[in-house]
Amino acid sequence: MTIPIIKVQQLDKVFSTDDMLTHALQGIDLEIQPGEYLSISGPSGCGKSTLLSIMGLLDFPTTGKLFFEGEDISQLSLEQAAAIRNKKIGFIFQQFNLIDELSIFENVALPLRYAMEPVSDKKIKERVDYCLDIVGMTSKAKRRPTQLSGGQQQCIAIARALVAEPSILLVDEPTGNLDSKSSDQIMATLQTLNDQGTTLCIVTHDIRYAEMAKRKVYLLDGQVLGQTQF
Amino acid sequence: MRKLILQYKQAWASLKKKPGFVLTVLMTMGITLGALLCVVTLNYLLLVEPLPYPEQERLFVAEHGLIGAKKETKAVAYTYPGLVHLYKSKQAFEQASMMMYGQDVIVSHSSQPLVNIAYVTPDLHQILASPMALGRMFEASEALDTNNPVAMLSYNTWMQEYNGSADILEKKISLSGVSYHIVGVLAEHFVEPELEIIGRKTQVWLPWDYNQAGKWQRQAFDNINGSLKFIGLLKQEVSQSQAQQLLTPLVNDRWQAGLPGDDDFFKGWTINMHVRSVKDRILGESESIAVMLLAGVVGLVLIACANISNLFMARTAEKQRQMAIQAAIGATKKHLFKAMFAETSLLMFMSIILALVLAQFGFYIMQQYLGAILPRVNELSLTPITFASAVLVTIIFALFFAKLSTRMINYRALNTTLQSSGKGSGLQVSKKTRQVLIASQVALATVLVFANFSLLKDAVKTINAPIGFATDNISTLILNFSSSDIPSQEEAKPIMAEIMEKLEALPQVESLAQGNSPLDGFWVRALTSVANNEKYTPFFKSVDHHYFNMIEQPILQGDNFTMAQRQDGANVMIVNQAFAKQLKADGDVLGMQISTGRPDSFKIIGIVKDITIPGDSPTDRDSSALGSGVPRVYVPNGLGGQSFMLKLKSGQTVSRKQLGTLLAEVDSRYSVFSFNAASAILTQTLFAEITTAVTTTVLASLVFLLAGIGLYGILSYGTQLRRFEIGARMAIGATRKHLITMIIGDNTKAVLAGFIGSIVLFALAYISLSEYIQPFLTWQVLPMVVATLVLIILVTLFACYWPLRQYINKAAIYSLRGSD
Amino acid sequence: MTDIKIEMNNIAKIFETDDVETHALKDVDIVIRAGEYVSIAGPSGCGKSTLLSLLGLLDMPSSGSYIIEGVDVSNLSLDEAAGIRNEKIGFVFQSFNLIDELSVFDNVALPLQYKKELPTDDFIKTRVEACLKMVEMSHRAGHKPNQLSGGQQQRIAIARALVADPAILLVDEPTGNLDSKSGDTVMAVLAELNKNGTTICMVTHDTRYADMANIQLKLLDGQIVKDELLKVAV
Repeated sequence: MTIPIIKVQQLDKVFSTDDMLTHALQGIDLEIQPGEYLSISGPSGCGKSTLLSIMGLLDFPTTGKLFFEGEDISQLSLEQAAAIRNKKIGFIFQQFNLIDELSIFENVALPLRYAMEPVSDKKIKERVDYCLDIVGMTSKAKRRPTQLSGGQQQCIAIARALVAEPSILLVDEPTGNLDSKSSDQIMATLQTLNDQGTTLCIVTHDIRYAEMAKRKVYLLDGQVLGQTQF
Repeated sequence: MRKLILQYKQAWASLKKKPGFVLTVLMTMGITLGALLCVVTLNYLLLVEPLPYPEQERLFVAEHGLIGAKKETKAVAYTYPGLVHLYKSKQAFEQASMMMYGQDVIVSHSSQPLVNIAYVTPDLHQILASPMALGRMFEASEALDTNNPVAMLSYNTWMQEYNGSADILEKKISLSGVSYHIVGVLAEHFVEPELEIIGRKTQVWLPWDYNQAGKWQRQAFDNINGSLKFIGLLKQEVSQSQAQQLLTPLVNDRWQAGLPGDDDFFKGWTINMHVRSVKDRILGESESIAVMLLAGVVGLVLIACANISNLFMARTAEKQRQMAIQAAIGATKKHLFKAMFAETSLLMFMSIILALVLAQFGFYIMQQYLGAILPRVNELSLTPITFASAVLVTIIFALFFAKLSTRMINYRALNTTLQSSGKGSGLQVSKKTRQVLIASQVALATVLVFANFSLLKDAVKTINAPIGFATDNISTLILNFSSSDIPSQEEAKPIMAEIMEKLEALPQVESLAQGNSPLDGFWVRALTSVANNEKYTPFFKSVDHHYFNMIEQPILQGDNFTMAQRQDGANVMIVNQAFAKQLKADGDVLGMQISTGRPDSFKIIGIVKDITIPGDSPTDRDSSALGSGVPRVYVPNGLGGQSFMLKLKSGQTVSRKQLGTLLAEVDSRYSVFSFNAASAILTQTLFAEITTAVTTTVLASLVFLLAGIGLYGILSYGTQLRRFEIGARMAIGATRKHLITMIIGDNTKAVLAGFIGSIVLFALAYISLSEYIQPFLTWQVLPMVVATLVLIILVTLFACYWPLRQYINKAAIYSLRGSD
Repeated sequence: MTDIKIEMNNIAKIFETDDVETHALKDVDIVIRAGEYVSIAGPSGCGKSTLLSLLGLLDMPSSGSYIIEGVDVSNLSLDEAAGIRNEKIGFVFQSFNLIDELSVFDNVALPLQYKKELPTDDFIKTRVEACLKMVEMSHRAGHKPNQLSGGQQQRIAIARALVADPAILLVDEPTGNLDSKSGDTVMAVLAELNKNGTTICMVTHDTRYADMANIQLKLLDGQIVKDELLKVAV
């Protein structure tokens, strides 16, 4: 069996405010193998976004273990986490999270600018052009995010997630802010990427889109309710 | 009403959650408004508030100006007989008083204190309607030439020197051999018109007849005395200029007639009478100081106001969501404004309370430290004007901040705020506005810090300037003679010799000189060069043969005085370099003859190095020596002089009482008039500079603090607005270093713009005020420029990092989600 | 008809940013009568949140007419809209939107403060207590919102929406931030209120809860979809 890209063991996440303790995640076990297309679904508040944040090193578990490509990364410093996010993980958010002040080209190039080993401008241009081509947005390179529609912005976000050649794409509710036509296009793009070998983990509450994944995980009240494998 | 109370209750509850914010607003506004109330009260008092005397608008002084041949003002001071002539003429004034200021020792008092005296005719207190605590004021019985020995005490003298004893009116005091019956004590709230020196308070009032002018002075039209004053109520029908026209010929004609015929020093001179209101006289130069203070503090308040605006904007951004909720359930703009106003007015109310307390404290400080610079500061107190300004300021600022905050709320975007569950930033100040705010903050801070640095450096330079003579362990002892029949020089000689012998025998004394120290003052004497008949008015002092050695003032050429020259009263003179240059361009003046107007002229036998006494400037404005030191001449003093310089062994002290005992042993008529350390006199002389240094240091720190808070406010607000962007960048792998560099980089442009702005401000100042600024523009300002820049940059760096740390030192999700 | 609470005719909403025009809503017609329980469902991005902000007068339509209890409110000034919101509409949000600084009692009392005439203290007390009782939260009146669980906070939000006796309760994804058990409790409270005569319009993408309403509307790409299509889509 191959080494899973992400492996989660007995993961707990507890939020505490004043008097309240909220168990967002309880005893989660999960593995994502290379080339997989996994969907995590469940009603609002079930903890799926929290799980995605922890897998993406945006947040830390309260207890439990987290492995990335076989390495235990449960106890990382902020700097180390940033380096792994930069190199190994591509994020796609519901709100696109593009930076309005930068051009599309610079938005896509950003992860390379933050790379540990400096990337030459020539290499950056190659990568950005290539990724923009994948999502069919080459013509928009000089525009600003505010000049694009929501669907187009999400395409740019996908290009940005791909640019550093990550091991996995973590996708949080990618169609949440889009109309149905744009949503279908985005989902088709993601499907194509997976067909070409990109590992995908997508969080959504939209059953239609959850069904598109090869493997589905249901969360309810912070616990895995069931898994389906196609 | 109930609604109002409710609003304030909620505002209070809401503010209680943000002690840091409240404290910053309180401190910033409290301190600056305190300063504002202080100087507003001061300005009102000085510029608007009438003097506390009945008919004060008719209260004028007449000044006696000596005009030289070239129509230039030579001096403003009366001759004794000229003043008496004016007083007796009863022209232009309905009622007027002669005054002379002096000092004397109350010999009858056990501690023999030196007190400030004013010799006046009874008119003075009648005109001022001075309130009495006890007894009576001077009456006709003390009028000119009545020689009635009575005295009035000030309230403080009564309290401090006589413990407020109830039977004070039955007591007598004796000064200079005259015993005065105390007839009255002035009331505590009596305000003396300070006509001579600001801050000098008269302690004992004596009738005019007992003034300290000598017999010859009372007749001399060629002798002027700065402590002679004339004050009175102008006649109803006489205007200020009419009075001047009336008095000028009256005084001038008498003066011309009275001048000794054989002296042509005053040839071509005239007298010009200048009548000005007492208020104007007292105010003097202080008007510009007061207005400058006001301008400075208004600048401070503006910076503070800009800072607090930033804070309020940041707070509104923070409260956007809360206000969106309120709007969703039906709050109108007016509701939100009122709620915001409740908060701002509460804050301003607290600030103004603090400001009033600080203002009261400020008055005390001003009375302690500015009493010698500004007139009337003793009258400072929290007046209705202070309270009115406080109320006005509170309302204006509360309205301003509330309006500013509510203006930022974007009503049309409220639903976005609600639905994005706290995400996004519905309201914000545009990047451009923020950059402009940063730039202006930096520019203002740079200019103010730099200006303060310069003032401070100037003051420190004066304080630390080498004076050119020694003051360590040197004190001046001046004797008091407590009898009316003053001994002649010849009679005094043996007594003084004995006193000197005893003083020298004291174990603490290292050396002794007869005559006082350079810091006890110089006379100004009219001199004529015999060779070319040129006239000069250098500073003049008679000294003994130990003087230059004791104060370590080097003799550069020629000889020191000798004991023999002093005994013989030889006509020899030592001049300083500055006067030598004035006399002859090459400074080679040994052997030159200088006339004092008397038959025998003085021969220059030596040249000493220049000394610098803070505040001294050449008397003669036409002098070609202007800027190259003050011209001074020295002549040998006689042996009967009653002042001495004592150089004590290091670490030793001598008390006033000890000296008094010593004097009494030699001759009981002698007592100590004053005994002051030269270093103490020097500090006194430097008082204005020290005050400036302290004031500018405080002001600079305050400006810097405010600018720091302001920069921090606007930068942290900018960072707060970029929270989601920062989160997004972190998600794609930006490290802390990346983000810190980014924030600093983004703000660098604005800071640079601020520096350029400050240069533009300086350039503008240079163009409009070049004559004042030019002397400052040397390479010496470079370190100050660098220091200013470094300080501002340090604050900026701190303000960049500190707000950022809460985002970059936490898991990225906190910035991305907007939950804490 | 007098029992019509809300009537929307031909409502459209267009958003513009720089170069892009987004048609968030097109040709929307809605009628809600007194005592009805209407749910609006649809996938993310279908425009249901926009529709809710129009219904709640948080935003104004680009075209079309909107009538609440016979009053045309299609074109109001900001302050007029605030007044109508205060009098006629009770909001319940996904994220509760309680004010943390205020106690539960003060949160519930808030809408009464914005009445043209401030009611008497007695009236406020009676009204707030009655509403807290309806959502079974009377014992929490003195607490602060952050001392309560999500489900409890949402019940407080419902009490706040009820306090001014509005014409209609607008509910936006009320269970979005809740676990399933709290979600069920909140939905039960809403059902109970409707049974007692409160008119409710709820937006949700949770089909389980959408089914609880007696009228179900489905929104797709800014348009109301016919019931037949609805079944296929879900």
